[in-house]
Amino acid sequence: MTGAIIEISQLTKQFKSKEVVHKADLKIVKGEIFGLIGQNGAGKSTLLKMIGGLMYPSSGEIHLFDHAVGENHAYFERMGLLIEDPGLFPHYSAYENLDLMAISYGLKDRSKHINELLKLVGLDGSNKTKVKNYSMGMKQRLGIAIALMGSPDVLILDEPINGLDPQGISEVRKLILELNKTGMTIIISSHILEELSKVATKYAILHHGEIIEINSKEELLLKCEVRIEVEVDKASLAIPILEEHLNINNYKVISDRTLYVYDTHVENHQITKVLVENGVSVQSIMKHKQSLEQYFLKRTRAEGDSHD
Amino acid sequence: MINLFKMDLHRFKNNKIMYLLLVIFSAFEIFGIFMMKQYEQPMEQGGTSVSSMNASDFIQLVLSQTPSWVLMYVTVFSVYFYMSEYNSGFYKNYISMNNARMYSVISKILILGMFTLLMLVTMVISDLIGRTIFFNNAAIGDWGYFVKLLVGQFLLHWAFSILVLFISIVSRSMITSLVIGVVLALNVPGMVVGALESLVGNINLSSYLLVNTIVSTKDFNNMNDVIHVASVAIIFMLIFSYIAVRYKVKEDLR
Repeated sequence: MTGAIIEISQLTKQFKSKEVVHKADLKIVKGEIFGLIGQNGAGKSTLLKMIGGLMYPSSGEIHLFDHAVGENHAYFERMGLLIEDPGLFPHYSAYENLDLMAISYGLKDRSKHINELLKLVGLDGSNKTKVKNYSMGMKQRLGIAIALMGSPDVLILDEPINGLDPQGISEVRKLILELNKTGMTIIISSHILEELSKVATKYAILHHGEIIEINSKEELLLKCEVRIEVEVDKASLAIPILEEHLNINNYKVISDRTLYVYDTHVENHQITKVLVENGVSVQSIMKHKQSLEQYFLKRTRAEGDSHD
Repeated sequence: MINLFKMDLHRFKNNKIMYLLLVIFSAFEIFGIFMMKQYEQPMEQGGTSVSSMNASDFIQLVLSQTPSWVLMYVTVFSVYFYMSEYNSGFYKNYISMNNARMYSVISKILILGMFTLLMLVTMVISDLIGRTIFFNNAAIGDWGYFVKLLVGQFLLHWAFSILVLFISIVSRSMITSLVIGVVLALNVPGMVVGALESLVGNINLSSYLLVNTIVSTKDFNNMNDVIHVASVAIIFMLIFSYIAVRYKVKEDLR
């Protein structure tokens, strides 16, 4: 028992000579919104297809709900999938598409289930329009409704905000957060980190098929926060000076020599000046500020360089 | 399994293309009988004229003419029914269910059986209508023989639809599947194998090919012919059902 609802280890997928996913390891705990970040072609969809049971791994293991999947694919049944484009019959209406899924699940009160789902995703007013006449956002929402049909424990959404306008993105985000409140575990992939950061509680960065970093939301925000990193001879001497002369209260001591200042009302030169005037020599001082996107690009570039 | 079959059945019943195919087929079948009447040739000694044929003889005559239109329609429907779901990606919504890969193929095989049955029923009804109108002859003949003929042809045509389904599953392309299906319906492989056999001499394996069996006239009062038809149909059905299911179970879905 690991407590993880999904656990993959050394998962690899190879197409002929090309390795699309390379020895991926990750654990997803119940109730998390797990964000998978990666550029186009990083291997996100392939990884999600393996987790969702659409593709077989070339090697590695998948554990679902504390059971090794192996030859027993019954555990995939507890997942709702929306991978790449929503799988919809274009000449059917939203209701008819959902009805087919309700039949496949053997649901008794089909109409009630369907109407509830249409309402949940905000498509209750357009259930007679054929799907081919839907906007991309409506198709995505219908895709989510279909994925929710079997009341899954885990919802896998691959690029669910692709092609959506800002309002559509906001609606999908709201829906994801609402579903998560009910205890549903959600895996969501995107190449737009800023958007993912608004919903995800944990992140994995996928680059060239490899998971290069896994962070909690707090860890990621820490890496992206605005702060002044000060390196001095002795941090314990610097702190009372900064508190007294610059009224700095929001700081963190990282080591004997390093402290992070989070108060944004002070500038680097003010800190340097006051410390030097009070006999504390400053080894280095640097303002740290980067957006999530900058951080992601920095990480993937660094990884790219190390590959080169 | 039963739920996936119900789902496919729902699609099948609400499928306008299926009804359209049946109507077009029926119309062409009746038109074909009209043309037979227009260009009816006096029979050579020992032959049977179309106007004096019973239903069994007439169906054998229609089915023995290549290209087999029944096979063409079966091809179009088989490819359409599978590929419309595959291309839409709808399978992604249910394929993670337990054993769904295997059950979805079996379910489609059953649906193709239903369509094949509908095709044959449409053919029989259209032939009866056409022969009644243009030849003033609706004789069925020996009912036992007629039933054996229909059952035999049903099994053979169902086996053909399974073969086309297998081709669609493997090729994942509507155009490729249609082209191969039409080539098979034209009995091109049968003719090629037959020609090669005639060069080698004393071999008659081509008569056991599926389409060759469909288009060759059989005497269903002769037990050897009945066994030939039943064994070819059942062997082809079992082989292609099995490999279609195996392929789908192992397939990486896009």
